[in-house]
Amino acid sequence: MAINVFRNENQRYKAIINLIVLSVALISFSQQNEAVRQQSAFEGFLMDTLAPLQKALNSTHRAIVTVIDDYFLNVSAKRENRILKNQVDDLERKLFETEELKKENNRLKELMSFGQELQISSVLAQIVAWDSNSDFKIIRVNKGKADGVKLQSTVVTSEGLVGYVYRLSKHYSDILTILDSNTRVDGIIQRTRSHGIVEGVSQDKCIMKYVGRTEPVVLDDVILTSGLGNIFPKGIRVGVVSRIERESFGITQSLEVTPAVNFGQLEEVIILIGPENQTRRLEWEALDNSDDKDDDKTKPAVR
Amino acid sequence: MRVQLRDIIPGMLITILLLMALEIFSTALFPVIGGYKYRLPFNILVILFLGFKLETPFIGMMILMIQWLHSYFSVDGWAQGTLAGIFVCMIISYLRELIHFNSIWMTMLITQVFQLLYFLIVFGMFYLKNGDLTFLLGRFERFIPESIVISLLAPFLFFVLDKVWHAKEDSLIA
Repeated sequence: MAINVFRNENQRYKAIINLIVLSVALISFSQQNEAVRQQSAFEGFLMDTLAPLQKALNSTHRAIVTVIDDYFLNVSAKRENRILKNQVDDLERKLFETEELKKENNRLKELMSFGQELQISSVLAQIVAWDSNSDFKIIRVNKGKADGVKLQSTVVTSEGLVGYVYRLSKHYSDILTILDSNTRVDGIIQRTRSHGIVEGVSQDKCIMKYVGRTEPVVLDDVILTSGLGNIFPKGIRVGVVSRIERESFGITQSLEVTPAVNFGQLEEVIILIGPENQTRRLEWEALDNSDDKDDDKTKPAVR
Repeated sequence: MRVQLRDIIPGMLITILLLMALEIFSTALFPVIGGYKYRLPFNILVILFLGFKLETPFIGMMILMIQWLHSYFSVDGWAQGTLAGIFVCMIISYLRELIHFNSIWMTMLITQVFQLLYFLIVFGMFYLKNGDLTFLLGRFERFIPESIVISLLAPFLFFVLDKVWHAKEDSLIA
C-alpha cells in the first residue's frame, strides 16, 4: 500500500522544486573554489548596470563630505599647513636619498646583467562599493576591461599591496584584498629574507605562515612580496610583523601582520597592468604542456 | 496558499527592487559612514519574510532569485545562501502553527532566532568545506551585531513587505 507523504498536490510540487533547487545549489557550492571568478556576458552586463548606482550613492556621500571638510571644518587649516610644510621638507630630503639609491641600484643591475625592468602600466581607480557580505574583504572599483584591466592584475596603493582583480566586467572590477581569507601571498621578510605565506584572517590583520621557527624575526620587520606564485610582482610592501607566535615545538612560527595599507580609509587604488599577465599565461601553458608530456611518458604502451 | 505564478510575479519584482536599493545602501554608503567592519544582510531578512509569510510551492525559486541578485553585490555567490534559505524555510513550514508575531518584540525575537539558525547552517556548510574554526569564530563575532541590527529593523521592513505582498489577510503575523 502506497503511503501518501504529502498532504496535497501543492506540497508535492513544493518538495520537487525545493529538491531541484537544493541539488543545483549543492553542486554549485561544492565546485566554488576558484582563484578568480569568470563572468558570462550577461552577468557582466548586470554588474555594469548595478555598479553605477553604487557609484552614484558613493559619489554623493563624497561630495557632501568634501563640502563639510572644505567649508565647515577649516578651522585648524593654518596649523596643519605648517606641519605639512615640515613634512614636505622631510620627504624631499628622503626623495633625494631614494633617487641616489635608485641610480646605484640601476648601475648594479646593469653590472650584474640582471635583465630588463618590466614595463608595467597603471590605472588609477576609485572605490565605489564594498562586498555585501562582511565575511569577504572585497572592494569594487570603477575600472574594468575597457580600461585594460585583466583578471589577476595586481592592485596597490602608495603604501603597499591591496590585492588582485578577482571579478571583472566591462567598466568595473572586484578586488580580492589581502585581508580576505581566500588570498594567499608569497611573502619575504625584508631583513632576514625568510619566506612565508601571508593569509587574511580578519578585518585589519593577516597572518604569515610557514616561516621557519629558527628564523630571527622581530617585531616591526617589513614583509614584501617575493614574486613567487606568479600573481604579485616582487618587492611590494605587504605589511609589518605585529605579533610573533613561536612555540617551543614544531618547525614553523606564526606571525601576525599589520597590512601596510589602511583599508578603513581606502578611497583610490592603482591597478598594475603589464606584459607580466601574458608572460604568466605562457608560463602556465608551458607547465600544463610539460604535465601532459609527463603523463604520456608514464602511460603504458598499448599494443 | 499562493499557487499561481501571477500571484507571485508582481510582489517578487517589487521585492527585488527593494532588495536592490537596500544592497546598494549596504555596500556603497554604509561602509563609508562608519560601518566598515559590518554589513547588513538584508537578503536574509527578505528570505525570512518569504518563509514566514508566503505558503507557496515556488519558495525555492524565490530564494534562488533573491540570492542570485545578492551575488552581484557579493562574491559569496548564490549557492550557500540558497541552501541555507531553503533549509530555514522548511523548518519554518513545520513550525508555522507555533509562530505568532503578536508584538514588535516578538517579531524581533523570532527574527533573531531564525537568523541564528540560518547562521548555524551556513557555519556548518563552511566548516564541512574548509574545516577552519578560527575564521568561523571571527564570523560569529560579526554575526552578533549584524543580526541584532537586522532584528531591530525587521518590524519596519516586514511592514513594508506586508504592503507589497498584501500578506496581512493570509498571514499568521499580526
